[in-house]
Amino acid sequence: MASIELDRVSFQYRGARGEAIQNLSLQVEDKGTHALLGASGAGKTTVLNLLSGLLQPSSGSILFGGRDVAGVPSGERQVAQVFQFPVLYPRMTVQENLMFPLGNAGWKKADAAARAFEIARELGIENTLSSGVGALTVFERQLVAIGRALVRPDVALVLLDEPLTAVQPELKWRLRRVLHKVQSDLGVTMIYVTHDQTEALTFARAVSVMQGGRILQTGSPRDVYDLPDHQYVGFFIGSPGMNFLDAEVRHGRVRIDGIDVATTTATDGLCVVGFRADWATLGADGLPVQVLGFRPDAVQNDLPVGVVVLERDQRKVHVRAQGRVEPGSAWLRLERHLLFREGCRVA
Amino acid sequence: MSPEQKNNRAWLAVLPVVLIVAFSGVVPLMTVVNYSVQDILDVHTRFFVGFDWYRDALRDERLHGAFLRQLGFSATVLLIEVPLGILVARCIPRDKHSTPLLLVLFAIPLLVPLNVVGTIWQIFARGDIGLLGAAINGLGIEFNYTQVPLHAWITLVLMDVWHWTSLVVLLAFAGLSAIPPAYYQAAALDGASRWQMFRHVELPHLRSVLLIAVLLRLMDSLMIYTEPLVLTGGGPGNTTTFLSQYLATMAVGQFDLGPAAAFSVIYFLMILLLCWLFHTMVVSRDQ
Repeated sequence: MASIELDRVSFQYRGARGEAIQNLSLQVEDKGTHALLGASGAGKTTVLNLLSGLLQPSSGSILFGGRDVAGVPSGERQVAQVFQFPVLYPRMTVQENLMFPLGNAGWKKADAAARAFEIARELGIENTLSSGVGALTVFERQLVAIGRALVRPDVALVLLDEPLTAVQPELKWRLRRVLHKVQSDLGVTMIYVTHDQTEALTFARAVSVMQGGRILQTGSPRDVYDLPDHQYVGFFIGSPGMNFLDAEVRHGRVRIDGIDVATTTATDGLCVVGFRADWATLGADGLPVQVLGFRPDAVQNDLPVGVVVLERDQRKVHVRAQGRVEPGSAWLRLERHLLFREGCRVA
Repeated sequence: MSPEQKNNRAWLAVLPVVLIVAFSGVVPLMTVVNYSVQDILDVHTRFFVGFDWYRDALRDERLHGAFLRQLGFSATVLLIEVPLGILVARCIPRDKHSTPLLLVLFAIPLLVPLNVVGTIWQIFARGDIGLLGAAINGLGIEFNYTQVPLHAWITLVLMDVWHWTSLVVLLAFAGLSAIPPAYYQAAALDGASRWQMFRHVELPHLRSVLLIAVLLRLMDSLMIYTEPLVLTGGGPGNTTTFLSQYLATMAVGQFDLGPAAAFSVIYFLMILLLCWLFHTMVVSRDQ
């Protein structure tokens, strides 16, 4: 199977007022890693269920390798899914769990056992094959669940629905590394759903940011960070999120309360200027702001490095700085900026 | 504080429970044990007879019959009620407007008093005026539960199934509702058939509630008394006389207190043994 494509897909839950998914188009490249990122209720899990065939779109089409899969039942879609918590067959051993999808696909027992061992070794759980799943830790169980998703060689799309949720924090990075390893070893396409931007940005080659059943932007982690198409994307991605201040463009100059802060090619009119915490510096001239506090998060060259919290027109602004900054008056200078009108980026 | 000077006042807090258990369980049981080793002619004339009544009870042909009938009855109703209960529970729609209504309807038989259940079925199954009995007779099949042992058994089993399947239904429904949808989704993606979903997803998750259901039904069916007494009175002949009815006849019908007490103790130990066996064989094996 090659690429996955959603073409203007809409979906409405029965009895619900609005559409859960609105006119959504998405392309996932073959053997790629794609993350769907968004807050709860953005429609991420609905997209997964549409892909796996548990839900049918009310309009639009879903194409797997150019073939429309409307009406193809879940079991025949060559899709596997890993859930938020380890979903296993509780009365089976690890080996039986891994062999189950193969048995349903008509494999001979010996072949299935060999394949199950191969996958277990890939995941480093070959020692647990004969134990019941009840005896395993949550981490190991989630590995088995991943194994069962990958065991059918014809599976070309693995859906991961916040797979790190149930795992203890200190083991999350290990599970993430395992996912990376199997993805590159086995070359399956993975779609990863999460509300955690660190997980999304470190895992996937492409990220789609979702809100209210729509995709606001799809791009590389770099793109969605540096060039958000939408104010929400800028705000949602990055820690701290992007800063926004009301401004006005006049004759190629961006002005906040009459003070020049930057130049632009945008047309004249009101707008919102957005900038990342590391795109601005504090100095002796520029835009007057109030320093509220300093949150150090590292030390570089014996100096504390961190985020300065500022206030401008009762709005919080975050700027990265080296060296402690004391509360009081200060001036802000923008080195880079983006302009938004009605939520969308214009420059 | 040295170990010798332990404060033992906390025992006072346990005292109410000790008293309740003593008066509700231990004292009556010991009274029965006391009766079982005596021959009681009247209030003032009694002889110690040792284990004679026990020996007699274990050799009693009628008791053997009642025992075998009891096992047969319990096994039959369990084999029908548990699978039927699971089947019905799977057919109840979830999260629909009709769901609470259905659950209440299923709970109704559980609320009917035992002798009312017996009376309902006694009339319902009558060949002359009962809806069921008359309908079967109307089909040209001779049906008379007061004369044909098989018919009496069928009526009894039907009655018990009507009365108690709901318990299994409600427990199984609760168990099914607790299974996260992800298990069904995963099984669908694994290409599992309907049967495999039932076998590998639903049954394992129902396991603990089903164990409770089986245990409750096992204990209750072993102690069944009122319904067969009202429905058939143990007849025709002795063909539907179960252990508790046999015991009641002996104790309050013939007033053979000693033998009845000995049999009570045996009966009690038997139920205890069966439930203990069930528990150790099935429940403890999991841990």
